[in-house]
Amino acid sequence: MAGITIRGLSKSYAGDAGPAAISDLSLDIADNQFVTLLGPSGCGKTTTLRLIAGFITPDAGTIHADDRLVSSREHVVPPEERGMGMVFQNYAVWPHKTVYENIVFGLKLRNVSAREARARVDNAVALVNLTGLEDRLPSELSGGQQQRVALARSLVVEPKILLLDEPLSNLDAKLRERMRGELKQLQRRTGITFVYVTHDQAEALALSDKIAVIHGGRLQQFGTPRDVYSRPASRVVADFMGLVNLLPATVVAAENGRARLRIGTGWTMEVDMAGTPRPGQTVEVAIRPESIRLQLPAPAEQPHLVARISESTFLGNIVDYHVVLEDNTALRVQTHPLEQFAIGDAVAVQVDAGQCSVFEVPVLDQGEPSREAQGAGE
Amino acid sequence: MPSARSLRRTGGNRGGRWLRLPRLETCVMSAAVLALVVLVVLPLLFLLVGSFRGEEGLSLEHFAEALTGRLYLQALRNSLVLGAWTGFFSILIGLPMAWAVSRTNVPAPGLFRVTATLAYLSPPFLTAIAYVNLFSPNAGLINVLMRDVAGVPWLTFDIFTMGGLVLVTALHTFPFVFLLASSALQSVDASYEEAAQILGASKLRTALRVTLPLIAPAILAGTLLAFVNAIALFGSQAILGLPGRIVTLPTRIYALFDYPPQYGLASALSLLFILITVAALYLQHRFLARRSYVTVAGKGARSQLIDLGPVRWLLFGFCVLVFVVAIVLPYGALIAVSLSKSWGLSFWQNLTLANYRFVLFEYNVTQRAILNSLLLATLAATIAVLLGAVIGWIDVRTRAPGRRLLDYAALVPLGLPGIVMAVALIQFWLTLPIALYGTLAILLLAYVGRYIPLGVRAANTSLRQIDPSLEESARVLGASWGRTLREITLPLIRPGLFAGWLLVFVPVIQELSASILLFSSSSITLAVAVYNLYETGYTEPVAALAMVNMAIIGVALLAANWLASERPHGRPPAAARAGATA
Repeated sequence: MAGITIRGLSKSYAGDAGPAAISDLSLDIADNQFVTLLGPSGCGKTTTLRLIAGFITPDAGTIHADDRLVSSREHVVPPEERGMGMVFQNYAVWPHKTVYENIVFGLKLRNVSAREARARVDNAVALVNLTGLEDRLPSELSGGQQQRVALARSLVVEPKILLLDEPLSNLDAKLRERMRGELKQLQRRTGITFVYVTHDQAEALALSDKIAVIHGGRLQQFGTPRDVYSRPASRVVADFMGLVNLLPATVVAAENGRARLRIGTGWTMEVDMAGTPRPGQTVEVAIRPESIRLQLPAPAEQPHLVARISESTFLGNIVDYHVVLEDNTALRVQTHPLEQFAIGDAVAVQVDAGQCSVFEVPVLDQGEPSREAQGAGE
Repeated sequence: MPSARSLRRTGGNRGGRWLRLPRLETCVMSAAVLALVVLVVLPLLFLLVGSFRGEEGLSLEHFAEALTGRLYLQALRNSLVLGAWTGFFSILIGLPMAWAVSRTNVPAPGLFRVTATLAYLSPPFLTAIAYVNLFSPNAGLINVLMRDVAGVPWLTFDIFTMGGLVLVTALHTFPFVFLLASSALQSVDASYEEAAQILGASKLRTALRVTLPLIAPAILAGTLLAFVNAIALFGSQAILGLPGRIVTLPTRIYALFDYPPQYGLASALSLLFILITVAALYLQHRFLARRSYVTVAGKGARSQLIDLGPVRWLLFGFCVLVFVVAIVLPYGALIAVSLSKSWGLSFWQNLTLANYRFVLFEYNVTQRAILNSLLLATLAATIAVLLGAVIGWIDVRTRAPGRRLLDYAALVPLGLPGIVMAVALIQFWLTLPIALYGTLAILLLAYVGRYIPLGVRAANTSLRQIDPSLEESARVLGASWGRTLREITLPLIRPGLFAGWLLVFVPVIQELSASILLFSSSSITLAVAVYNLYETGYTEPVAALAMVNMAIIGVALLAANWLASERPHGRPPAAARAGATA
């Protein structure tokens, strides 16, 4: 078993008084999982990873790896004694060593016999599809190849835990996609626990068994990709996990975890809602652009709203529309490219209430103007 | 599934629970800090204490004497006069050359740069000796030529004057102004000048009213560096000043070590010396800091070369003149003297290699001096660079408390004239029961202490170019601190360290200011041997030994050039490629 248990972890950089890079983080990473720490830059995800690796000392809290205490304020097991692997954002492939020398380094440290080392390096090289390039220097490799050298170097020592710090962010889109697939397969094949840091929500959704969304140094939500995407725990998570329409609404009636909301003027919708909604309470409802259906002509028998198309952007696999409802509420809608509408068209709008999330608005924030349809993608 | 083979060392039994750093790391870093304390901090403290120690207890008597005694005031005045005139002439020579090279279409700009580099590398005490051979009032070759052959006695020149001393010193210091001014000129965006011209200003007016103010801080900074270096040179001031009774601070301090040595007074005088130097360096730092504020031009800095027309040949002629006076004349003279049986008007009638045979194979003092200097320079350069690497590493890579202080301590020797360093070392080591005085060891301490800033700077620059993740990835794989240093860090910063090594080696080979107080007959060095032979009147062997000195420097520089262009196994410069991204 090589799980990681984090309890009450805090770290601030400019002394204890400075702003916290990470505060009171608790996380249970189970063995054999692919876990992603997801958040915008500066949210504390890399700090968390470096705390797990043992490069920095926490101000408070503990980290257990494999049921062994490895980090606390009083004592930090140095990185070289943790038996983890780490892949850095800039790969950190040593420029003065060949591919083979890079990969065999960890085995030499473990006094593995030359013959066994050779065999294990060959395996690792084959695993990452670099066979034949063993004698090259890093400067003679492409970015993707260097990336794979870094991976092989970490995998060859068979760590139980592999830490990856935005390993794909320096690759071009196509290569990133391919490496994404290879990483996922690799994790399944080796059974190593992967802790993966990224700011790219699409990457996190595609790769992870579980995603920890971190924002402002705090854990916002820890769950499966599906959960985090379709049941975001807060508007911050909803906002970060892709494009979303966040609309102010008022609770009209509530009963048994269901609430009837009024959005704008005259548009009501029945949704699941946790907690104890009170009639009259102000809330925010998050609607993903793909949960909205546009139709022309309007279907006669179903209830629907009417909106006018104000802008349309063709993105290849989808079309992105801005529509304005009769009460002037603006929405972002994404549809299949075969469903085409022209600017100015009056279309029927149907919202899939089952896919919507509702967040209570903190009383203090009521004056804040609602942000709508803000994307967090790249 | 995790393999049984995956390795997890049982942590915690290395070093105590309370020890955050593994033991080797702590040891090496503490040793480096300790070395810096012994090399720089303690000698300076003892210098301070020594200057206040009177016949009975604490007293200010040494300072009182240093500040009132006629001899000392005169030395102080002479040093300041020398520094000021040298600074002035450094501007006069360096600035036109800098402007010509960076802003005009002057022919052969390469020659200008080579002139500045060679002039800077030439040890001024050798230039002084060469000029004595040409311009000593009675026997100087050119003086004899003018007076006795050409019959124009008013064209003779006495080198044993303040004028002669300033000339020889400025030939060594003008490169400071040249280098700082030309880099400033290159970073001034041409649009500043174009804006002035569009408003109707002439070329001359633009240069004086727009360009000059922009680069003034750099010029001042270069001039102050020239000043600081000029007043610290013992060799040229002893060779040219003493015959003409022009005593300066270094030569006065040196005289205080004649029997009976006056340590207290020498220490007080040394502290005054440091005060002047540090004040000048502080001003220099301020000016340079201001420069970046004035001429910020970003990446877009572009400069347009000014077409000077026929005037450019005038500038070119000026540069050729500097080249002749700074390089051709002194080296021509030294080569000629070294090859002649007896230096005089008809020296070319009986050329000989006997002088070289004498200094290289027959005279054991010069042989010993050459070997000592080679050994000391090699050791000093190696130690300074390795120590610099550790101190640089602490500064760049750790969050150790007091690391800035360490960095400052490592820069302090920049403000120490060589002879002051020697006085400080004598004060310190004479109080200890270890008999170090007169050994090679104390010379080594002096050299490493004096040039440690160059080692630290080289290491700092290299380390900053290496992404920390290169070291961290080795740590994660299980490499200890020492192993990471040996296998990753040192190989990656090797090119930078090598450059630093040469930066120390070259000045140590020609070091005279500190060595002159610290040597003994068994630990004599190359520069000291040159000086002593000169004092004893061996004109021709001195020249041969001087050429040997220059040959060693030349070989070192050629080796540096060769190694810098050589990329083993076609590897890119490690620093530039470190942490390369796609």
